[in-house]
Amino acid sequence: MTITTPSTEPAGSLDTDLLLDVRGLQTHFETQFGIVRAVNDVSFTVRPGEVVGIVGESGSGKSVTARSILRMIHKPGRVVGGEVLYRGQDLLGVSDKEMQALRGSEIAMVFQDPQSALNPVMTVGDQIAEALIVHGGEKKASRARALELLEQVGIPDAPRRLDEYPHQFSGGMRQRVVIAIALASSPKLLIADEPTTALDVTIQAQILRLLAQLREDLGVAVLMITHDMGVVAEMCDRVVVMYGGRVMERGPVEAIFSAPQLPYTADLLAAMPKLEDGEEHRLPAIPGAPPDPSRLPTGCSFNPRCRFAEDRCRESVPVLTIRGPEHSAACHVTGDGAPLTPAPPAEATAARREIGGEPLLEITDLRVDVNCGRGGLLGKADPVYAVDGVSLEVRPGETLGLVGESGCGKSTLARAIMGINPVSGGSVCIGGQELGPKDRAGSKRIRETVQYVFQDPFASLNPRRTVRQSIEEALEVRGVPAKEREAEILRLSERVGLNPLHLDRLPHAFSGGQRQRVGIARALAAEPRLLVCDEPVSALDVSIQAQIINLLSDLRDELDLGFLFIAHDLSVVKHISDRVAVMYLGTFVEIGDAEQVYSDPQHPYTASLMASSPKPDVAQRDRERIVLTGDLPSPKNPPTGCRFRTRCPIGPLFRDDRQVCIEQAPTLTPTATGQMAACHFPGELAAPTA
Amino acid sequence: MSATSAPARRATKDVRRAPRFPTLHRYLMVLKSGRGITALVLLGTLVALALLAPALFPGGYDEQSSGALAGPSAAHWLGTDEFGRDILVRTIYGLRTDLTLIITAVPVSLAIGTLLGLTGYLNGRLGLFVQRALDIVLGIPGLLLGIMIVLVIGAGWFALFSAIVIAGLPQFGRLARAGLLTQQDREYAVASRTLGVPRRTVMVRHILPNVVDPLLVTAAIYTVAAIFIEASLSIVGLGINPPQPSLGALLNTGARYVQTLPTYVIGPGVVLLLLALAFTLLSDALNKAANRR
Repeated sequence: MTITTPSTEPAGSLDTDLLLDVRGLQTHFETQFGIVRAVNDVSFTVRPGEVVGIVGESGSGKSVTARSILRMIHKPGRVVGGEVLYRGQDLLGVSDKEMQALRGSEIAMVFQDPQSALNPVMTVGDQIAEALIVHGGEKKASRARALELLEQVGIPDAPRRLDEYPHQFSGGMRQRVVIAIALASSPKLLIADEPTTALDVTIQAQILRLLAQLREDLGVAVLMITHDMGVVAEMCDRVVVMYGGRVMERGPVEAIFSAPQLPYTADLLAAMPKLEDGEEHRLPAIPGAPPDPSRLPTGCSFNPRCRFAEDRCRESVPVLTIRGPEHSAACHVTGDGAPLTPAPPAEATAARREIGGEPLLEITDLRVDVNCGRGGLLGKADPVYAVDGVSLEVRPGETLGLVGESGCGKSTLARAIMGINPVSGGSVCIGGQELGPKDRAGSKRIRETVQYVFQDPFASLNPRRTVRQSIEEALEVRGVPAKEREAEILRLSERVGLNPLHLDRLPHAFSGGQRQRVGIARALAAEPRLLVCDEPVSALDVSIQAQIINLLSDLRDELDLGFLFIAHDLSVVKHISDRVAVMYLGTFVEIGDAEQVYSDPQHPYTASLMASSPKPDVAQRDRERIVLTGDLPSPKNPPTGCRFRTRCPIGPLFRDDRQVCIEQAPTLTPTATGQMAACHFPGELAAPTA
Repeated sequence: MSATSAPARRATKDVRRAPRFPTLHRYLMVLKSGRGITALVLLGTLVALALLAPALFPGGYDEQSSGALAGPSAAHWLGTDEFGRDILVRTIYGLRTDLTLIITAVPVSLAIGTLLGLTGYLNGRLGLFVQRALDIVLGIPGLLLGIMIVLVIGAGWFALFSAIVIAGLPQFGRLARAGLLTQQDREYAVASRTLGVPRRTVMVRHILPNVVDPLLVTAAIYTVAAIFIEASLSIVGLGINPPQPSLGALLNTGARYVQTLPTYVIGPGVVLLLLALAFTLLSDALNKAANRR
């Protein structure tokens, strides 16, 4: 194993127009299990006004790199080597006081979660002004500047909102405030750590557009840390790919996306489901899981998962070598000029599914009041219909995809089907029988037909019970005799790809993907005919998502399961679904054949969702985007008429003559293209990608 | 596959495998901390003293000697009281009274309080009603509550016992309810419910083990409070009936002679503090053990 890997590129020639030049950065964490090399010899540069993306999965060291640059590493972590040159000055060498002066005024940080980055007891205006005052601003001038900044980041009605508190802002608006604070002292470099991960697609599009605009107007450089290849393709000029604490590839965004020189980058791009994908196929998933930074494999960290791995990959760490203009990669195999053949499509499943038969799930005009049963001893709380008049059906072997932003009621719908939330109107038929008021969660009729796969597999497993106990519990309920359970557990764990040797571990000893496999095994243990999957892959790393999606579709095909597949990621839903329903504020705005809805969306909301979702394709970055204004209204007080009218780009907001949208609620009606859409003017706004 | 994996499973020594009794294992971690050991040693000594009292001092707590209010001597280390009884002997017998009291009353309070707190799982309205009732108890100061109880059932051991049980109910009840409310909406509890696991099993298997930690810590803290409830009621003369000694009762009478015979107060006072210290350290160590993952 090479101990230190001197970069074989021309070492930082005295390039004076570099804003940030990170050279051989090393950050270690000293834990009781030994030294964790979270950042291991990382080098990259940022020029003024440039957007550089650092992409990587969890544990790749991307966030630690960002924090090391700003010297925000706390014990037991320590920057042990390298240089962070900011305009030629080594940030690792300056005093704490100088560093404090640099933070904010020269380099500012935007955090992932705007909720926890803002102080809840200070007005937004005071928080922005504070950022100016600590750098020597005068009080009155600071307030004026705060107002200017709020306007700059696109907060409407800024003079009034200046004196409001963070809780009065929506998630997207809060992130704008955080950006305003970061911009307060006109920094030259903005470090954004997953700035849009906590936000919805349409809001993400707003924030990305804002960042692009700020860079244009102010010339601020952005170092963007993200796991989302789509965001990278949309935003970045150059990309740094990190894996196992090292830079594995870096180069111009076009080169990385069109001709990656690293098997990891190539396979990661191939493993992502894409909106443009045509007919059904299995995703070429990367096997295994991202390595634990405390137990990195020897040699190239990616070697256990690599299709091309050779002996030397296990023995020595590859160094970055030049592959093109500004493009370098660390790989033994491609270094010798071997081409990266596309991953062979994963073997197709033997079982062919047939959609048909009696519907497993039939919902008519369902309404769910999430405030039901709330309220004190005196009086009830006002009803809030998170689901308001929804009808759908799912047949054996069929997947109905359900997309929508957070707060649109998709999880409430799923929970109502499972009997967790009581139904306040309409009917739910499971396996041909209508649920009565007595059918609560887990009643025999529900559990024998439907099971639930949770979004966060860690939260859905009792941390004190082993995986074996969790699966056994489900078998016990099904009435499997104690003697047969062991064999059944082995069969299930094998089916979902769990190592039977690991069954006696507690959930925390598993990786995210493994935990989701446990969740699926537990759901299957009840032998259901329908699975309700509530965002089953959104908590997982990109390289793991494809594995779980493949597993789910295999299970569907083999066992003839019906799926209600809920997700906010449009391409994931498209990949797995036969039919798709788009939900907005408690109602379906469009429902129909997946291919049809995606190729020719009829509702303006569907069209804008598709236009907003970032695509991992550089060629598409200049496409026309429909960026919706505003936020999702509250279901407590939905708009009259069409619920989407307050944000609709073809509605009364932009066209005064369309009073019908305010007065009359549209119903789902068949459109010219075959699907159903709830819009007075269907098909008028076409998705630009169509 | 299953045929080869079964022996293989036994052969592999898996360090990450869960311990057989995870809860017990976690509480045994108490022994690993300095505080935990100090607490257990201290408590062990005090309990041993109390248990051995009849063997060590076969004369009992009211054996009289010739001199009343004599100073410390080789025969009477802490001197004698107003009736010529050995203060050290009475202190140790007093400790015995106190330990019996808290060791019976605190667990009873813990059990009843927890059950009251969990009534919300059976019926939402009942749970709400019980909480309001507990709030009322919480509103009454401890000493006042004790006096009210003594007025109803008369001074003595049982009054102290009742006072300690009732004064503790709001704490345990509210804590159990808070745990219940957070735990029953945890996804793993919901997951078990959707699988069809009976409510009782969900309660015992998934909710209760996660509520127990804070309750045990609170029980150790409340024991300290219980010691002082006994002391304060006895100090105002509403506690244990004489001639039986208790730490509080000793302090009560000792206070009258604080000028002439300071050891009369110091002896029981120090024992009382040591007892409280032992339980405080124990609660600290339990808290630490409960919060480690």
